[in-house]
Amino acid sequence: MFAVYKRDLRAYFTSPLGYVFIAAFLIITNLIFFVTNLLTGANALVNVYSIILYILIIVVPVLTMRTFSEDYKQKTDQLLLTAPVKASGIVLGKFLAAYTVYFIALVFTILYVIIVAAVGDVNMGAVVGNYIALLAVAAVYIAIGCFISSLTENQLVAAIATLGVFIALFLMDYAYSLVNVDWIKGVLYWLSIFRRFNTFRLGVFSVADFFYYVSIAAAFIFLTVRVLEKKRWS
Amino acid sequence: MIEVSGLTKTYGKKRGIDRLNFTIQDGEIVGFLGPNGAGKSTTMNIITGYLSANSGAARISGIDVLEDPVAAKRNIGYLPEQPPLYLDMTVEEYLNFIFDLKGVKELKRKEHLAEVCELVGLKDHYKRLIRNLSKGYKQRVGLAQALVGNPDVLILDEPTVGLDPKQIIEIRNVIKNLGRNRTIILSTHILQEVSAICERVLVINNGQIVADDKPDNLSAMITGDRKLIVRVAGPRDNVRKILRSVEGVQFADVTVQSEKGSYDFLVEAKPNVDIRKPMFTALAKAGYPILQLKSMDLSLEDIFIKLTEEKKTVRQPQNKQPKKQRPEESAAPAEEAAESFAPIDVNLGGDADFEEKEGDN
Repeated sequence: MFAVYKRDLRAYFTSPLGYVFIAAFLIITNLIFFVTNLLTGANALVNVYSIILYILIIVVPVLTMRTFSEDYKQKTDQLLLTAPVKASGIVLGKFLAAYTVYFIALVFTILYVIIVAAVGDVNMGAVVGNYIALLAVAAVYIAIGCFISSLTENQLVAAIATLGVFIALFLMDYAYSLVNVDWIKGVLYWLSIFRRFNTFRLGVFSVADFFYYVSIAAAFIFLTVRVLEKKRWS
Repeated sequence: MIEVSGLTKTYGKKRGIDRLNFTIQDGEIVGFLGPNGAGKSTTMNIITGYLSANSGAARISGIDVLEDPVAAKRNIGYLPEQPPLYLDMTVEEYLNFIFDLKGVKELKRKEHLAEVCELVGLKDHYKRLIRNLSKGYKQRVGLAQALVGNPDVLILDEPTVGLDPKQIIEIRNVIKNLGRNRTIILSTHILQEVSAICERVLVINNGQIVADDKPDNLSAMITGDRKLIVRVAGPRDNVRKILRSVEGVQFADVTVQSEKGSYDFLVEAKPNVDIRKPMFTALAKAGYPILQLKSMDLSLEDIFIKLTEEKKTVRQPQNKQPKKQRPEESAAPAEEAAESFAPIDVNLGGDADFEEKEGDN
């Protein structure tokens, strides 16, 4: 697992992909920080954090599109799958490599906390809660991205399909606010990654929602492992 | 040791391999010979655990590939048809990655990788980006990758493809040296390669083993050809008449007009007859000089036909009537004429039809 992790992480930074991801992520969060905090002098960082959810819709497909697709295309999957490694090791290595790139990007946003803390009060409890939530949410995004990448050998298809799924999830969130039928609302709420983030936004650390994110991510990682194992039966 | 028993793999309705059985002892170098699509790569992919068989089992050193894949794979070095390379890495980074991936513990990293590179002749390219290497060197990196960790069993899918003749000889020597203390299966569709490296040959066609023999025995079959190609300067019909009248000639016909005023003839002798001398005398007497005389090498396809005819282990093509007719007497285009070497043509035509049929089902 560690070998795959190391190679993939390295590949993100020997190609423009890792830099593009981090740069795009930071440019947008910077902009939001500038508008909502620096210009208005507000000390609440929640706007920056909740906007990250939407940034991820666009940038995560770019991050995850190559995880498996590129291996399929270059036939290096043959190397990985005939090496004495379990499929779960391969998937976890690749997932964690993508996750690490996101983590690096997220670390830069701590700068905003430092800036606000220097000139005003920061609700540290809420900030820490938000960061934990952001880490959990991103795991869902990246796991879905990896899963879709494991289905196709075409990177572009993987990226667009991932984007499509994220947009669909986003629209479900929108539909939730439009629908009045209870049981549909219930279903939509269950599926909505975005709405669940609201509790964190309000400064509440919801353990249930945190585990919701973690288990969805785990489910998609598991599915990816199954896809990889199933390949040999094709 | 590699044990394969009852291995069957179907792709949809099409049969990839069909009840393969063979055992390869420690220290053997076995050649896997077969035309494209015969099932060589499929078999190798199953042994290495990349694909699964529909039924049957493959065991590496006694470990079932399906039951304990990780342990079985630890004993295998695999070079697939297309070397699985990460183009954005240097040779050094790549081999280090492989070293980690295979979880090699008992060997010292630096010495081992240097040794592997020395063996396949990659030393001068160690720091280069794989993307920038030529095909031959990429192939070597692929081979090096298989050797990392000193696996007991090496499975090489067409290891010399894409190499220049000098490199081919080098790589063959490398494989031969490796084979002293390892079990090696290599696939190829080049006959010479098998006789150059292997101690044993498995000939596979249509997913079945049609021969399992020493290369010497196989080459006896190969050199037992009786077909000659003769280029004679002279009028077509006269020369043909003379050729047919030579004692011991079973079949003679024109194939193609090679130069102005001369034709190539395919002449087949009766079994155990050397027709070269009488043929020369006859043609000389008539005043038609022989410009060229060569024996026609049997292609792999011909050998399969021979093998399948001799051993009834394989299903025979069902349709006996080939679609093609006898070559026209007129100067046919070269391709068509070359295609219509009569006795082979019958079988090849039948074979091709058979495959088509299979695909349609």
